[in-house]
Amino acid sequence: MEGRKEQLKSVFYNLLSIAVAAVFWSLFSAWQQSPFFPSIAQIWKAFIGLITVGDIEGIGLFSHIWASLIRIFAGFAAACVLGIPLGLAMGLWPKLYKRTRAIIEPIRFIPPIAWIPMAIVMLVGFSRYAFLIWLGAFFPIFITTLLSVTRVNPLHVNVVKVFGAKRSYIIRKIVIPSVLPDIATGMRVGLGIAWMCIVAAEMIGGEMVGIGRLILKYAELIRMGEIIVGMLIIGVIGFIMNEIFIIIEARIFRWRSEVSID
Amino acid sequence: MNQRKSKIQVRDLSKHFGSLVVLDQMNFDIYDGEFLCIVGPTGCGKTTFCNVVTSLLPCTKGAVTLESEPIDFKKHNVSFVFQEPSCLPWRTVWDNVKIGLEIKGYPKKEIRERVSEVLDLTGLTRFKDFFPNAISAGMKQRVGIARAFVTEPDMLLMDEPFGQLDTSTRFHIENSLVQLWQKKKQTVIFVTHNLEEAVYLSERILVCTQKPTKIKKEVYVGHLDHPRNIADPEFVKIRREVTDLVRWW
Ligand SMILES: Nc1ncnc2c1ncn2[C@@H]1O[C@H](COP(=O)(O)OP(=O)(O)OP(=O)(O)O)[C@@H](O)[C@H]1O
Ligand SMILES: [Mg+2]
Repeated sequence: MEGRKEQLKSVFYNLLSIAVAAVFWSLFSAWQQSPFFPSIAQIWKAFIGLITVGDIEGIGLFSHIWASLIRIFAGFAAACVLGIPLGLAMGLWPKLYKRTRAIIEPIRFIPPIAWIPMAIVMLVGFSRYAFLIWLGAFFPIFITTLLSVTRVNPLHVNVVKVFGAKRSYIIRKIVIPSVLPDIATGMRVGLGIAWMCIVAAEMIGGEMVGIGRLILKYAELIRMGEIIVGMLIIGVIGFIMNEIFIIIEARIFRWRSEVSID
Repeated sequence: MNQRKSKIQVRDLSKHFGSLVVLDQMNFDIYDGEFLCIVGPTGCGKTTFCNVVTSLLPCTKGAVTLESEPIDFKKHNVSFVFQEPSCLPWRTVWDNVKIGLEIKGYPKKEIRERVSEVLDLTGLTRFKDFFPNAISAGMKQRVGIARAFVTEPDMLLMDEPFGQLDTSTRFHIENSLVQLWQKKKQTVIFVTHNLEEAVYLSERILVCTQKPTKIKKEVYVGHLDHPRNIADPEFVKIRREVTDLVRWW
């Protein structure tokens, strides 16, 4: 457990690093004197404008955020619902994976953006968003689940085998608890990638709402202030979700030792 | 000794790992209710033997049978104390110890009684709610021992179970083991490097050779009464005999 003092220190240093980054940006923007590199005051003004008046079409910032959040969660949830059971199944029956990997593995390397035309002709509306985000989140979740099953400690399996445990008991009480932390990590990575796909997804969704859409709108107008606000919001929300994930993980996986290498 | 009922029959047992011959055509019986010690040089295949006997590992040639049939964990009540620490890290000490009873479907009340008894015996009561990452190596080893004792097995395999324990804890658990064995007369297969421990505990000691491993000699200790006196001339004589055998490994 970190001490209270250590916690305060780390908060302080994190705030300090933000301040340092802000100072650098300000100097850079003051030096450039260009509309491409707005000052912090201008970015702030854009932020307030987006909240109070909304964007060029009058859509408020929170509507954008909310729309994106829902899309992310839909795609991410679909990725979990498919990726975890499929990863578990293929880990438990390795032949299933060995005999289908020639179709699974290549798909993994096709970037979500390359799927855009395909998504446009195959899908409509909300399912386009969900599909692209699903593509991003699915593979990290699926692959980490699959790999973690193969890394279950055989000694742990033997411990219960000797007592006469059935296969279903071994899966429920040894395999699942062994792989849960890895699955959680896979989910965390998957959620990160889901966020990274949001702009791609909102390029083709058709609706004018969403954080990615907001960035694209202002990109056409070359208004950097609003674009930076959109970028920062994606970053900050991703960061908050990640932190929440870490807190939940630490709660659930209390039994894990923390590794420190300093 | 030979009129005792044979419990485990080891016939022509060989185990190869690729081209490495580890167990080489071993032939012997383990008797019902016997306390058998196996000593041998490091890497000779003692752990492999335990794994093959329990069919956790397949053998290359030959067969091991328990009461003339292949071993079946659902039917035979077996416990195994593994050489390596084998606590399940996501379970507390208490939940680790109870797992065998849980699998065998004992009622909750009996599980509670038996687990608290065996935790007392192994000195783990204070740590029952700890996760394995918060206890010492010796405690983890004791969790393994407690977990094996609590099911009151008919056949108990222990692979160097006391390596991490201090002398006093070791004596304490050794004596408990002997008492348990005297009471229940289960078949015990006990692997150790410690010759004094082997002479102190067992009825018969199998001294193994280097790989490819065969049995070099059987030494009978059953005529010494428990609790044994390590200064007793007969005890000393047997220990010396075993030591001499081992010197030429
Ligand atoms: N899975 C395996 N694959 C290949 N070789 C193995 C395997 N397991 C064990 N061996 C080899 O078999 C031999 C016997 O190993 P084993 O662990 O049974 O020794 P041991 O007698 O228990 O030694 P120790 O006293 O050090 O515990 C060693 O030479 C080891 O390298
Ligand atoms: Mg060994």
